[in-house]
Amino acid sequence: MSTMQATASRELRGKDLITIGIFSAIYLVINLIFHVMGGIHPIMWLMMPGLIAVFASVPYLLMASKVQKPFAVLIMGLITGLIYFATGMFTVVILITYAAASVLAETVRFITKYKSFIGNAASFVFYSLGIIGSFLPLWLFKDSFFAQISQHGVSAEYLSVLSKLVTDGMLMVIILVTMVLAIVGTLIARALFGKHFIKAGIV
Amino acid sequence: MAGNGKAENTTCFDPRTLLLLLILVNIVVILQNSFYVELTLLVLLMGLFLYCRLFGSGLKFVLVFGFLLTLQHYIFPAAPQIFADFFSILTAFLRRVFPILMIGKLIVKTTPMRHFVLAMRKWRLPEKLVIPLSVTIRYFPAIREEIKHIRDAMKLRRITGAAKFEAYIVPLIFSAANTADELSAAAVTRGIENPAPKTSVIELCFRFRDYICIVCGLVFALIAFWLR
Repeated sequence: MSTMQATASRELRGKDLITIGIFSAIYLVINLIFHVMGGIHPIMWLMMPGLIAVFASVPYLLMASKVQKPFAVLIMGLITGLIYFATGMFTVVILITYAAASVLAETVRFITKYKSFIGNAASFVFYSLGIIGSFLPLWLFKDSFFAQISQHGVSAEYLSVLSKLVTDGMLMVIILVTMVLAIVGTLIARALFGKHFIKAGIV
Repeated sequence: MAGNGKAENTTCFDPRTLLLLLILVNIVVILQNSFYVELTLLVLLMGLFLYCRLFGSGLKFVLVFGFLLTLQHYIFPAAPQIFADFFSILTAFLRRVFPILMIGKLIVKTTPMRHFVLAMRKWRLPEKLVIPLSVTIRYFPAIREEIKHIRDAMKLRRITGAAKFEAYIVPLIFSAANTADELSAAAVTRGIENPAPKTSVIELCFRFRDYICIVCGLVFALIAFWLR
């Protein structure tokens, strides 16, 4: 197996493509679980990228360490964005943010030469930002959105609290929190790698 | 001529038509601000549901939309403030993405995966995206199955808190890694790495109704844009 990988070119082959597909599916399932939880309350929704970053790090990093080749992460990001877009819960914004995030992650992997765990972990920190496209429409269509909900019996105080949440500063905070929690996620993944996956020989 | 090979029997529309409509609906949803545009869009989509004989899910969507409207117009003003505060964001967001939900459901209900694979190939999307994407979609049911087994096994032992996450993710990853190995062995044997263009039993073709649909969609998107 190892000799095959050593001689294989940098091009993605059938096995790599299937590995990307399968681990993308696990990544997406973890995402969806937290999306459902995010539906409970707007605050939970804004917390969601961070929570996803903690738990979805395992399939991402496993994929990254199994497929040490260019464009693997980009394909994973496109799949995630496309499926989110096509299942209808999300706008085209999420497709764009995932494409951008995975290009960033891909760049990090290119610089760190694909092999090191730390490099892959750093790329995951950027990749986690893609999910922000889920609620970015709140920022993009703020006025029309608030006009719509203010007609339907939301109290003025609550509305003002909410519009205070939907600010550029808050967006920065979310991005920062997400990145920090993504680092926590990679540490958890690291522990699981050491405890299970390396021993079993699947990475 | 109308053999089994044609997509006729299983689908109402060419998958490419549906994907185009999905994009158009997305654009309209982002742009629109008027209730009438929203309503017209829903009526048009409902027409598609009826045409594809999806009466059950069509009815469900009508009921849910009616419920959302009732919630916004009658229940929230009358309900305790805390209740209205809590749910109105969710309701408003749901109402905004409602048309996308509908077209998504229509696509999932009417079109099997292999038709999409074919459509993506016809659009000359790179094979390197088409293969993993179809694997991803096919693997979802397997994950559900797997999680069920893991849950059954966990019932025998008392696992709580963080250990629970570990207990779910580790076997899930193990079986995924195994599946990846087995599936790729099978797929390589069947020539997935062959660079020659793939042939297919099914033939996709645009029919009259597909053209009608696309033209309607485009005209509607333009009107919605113009009315903005």
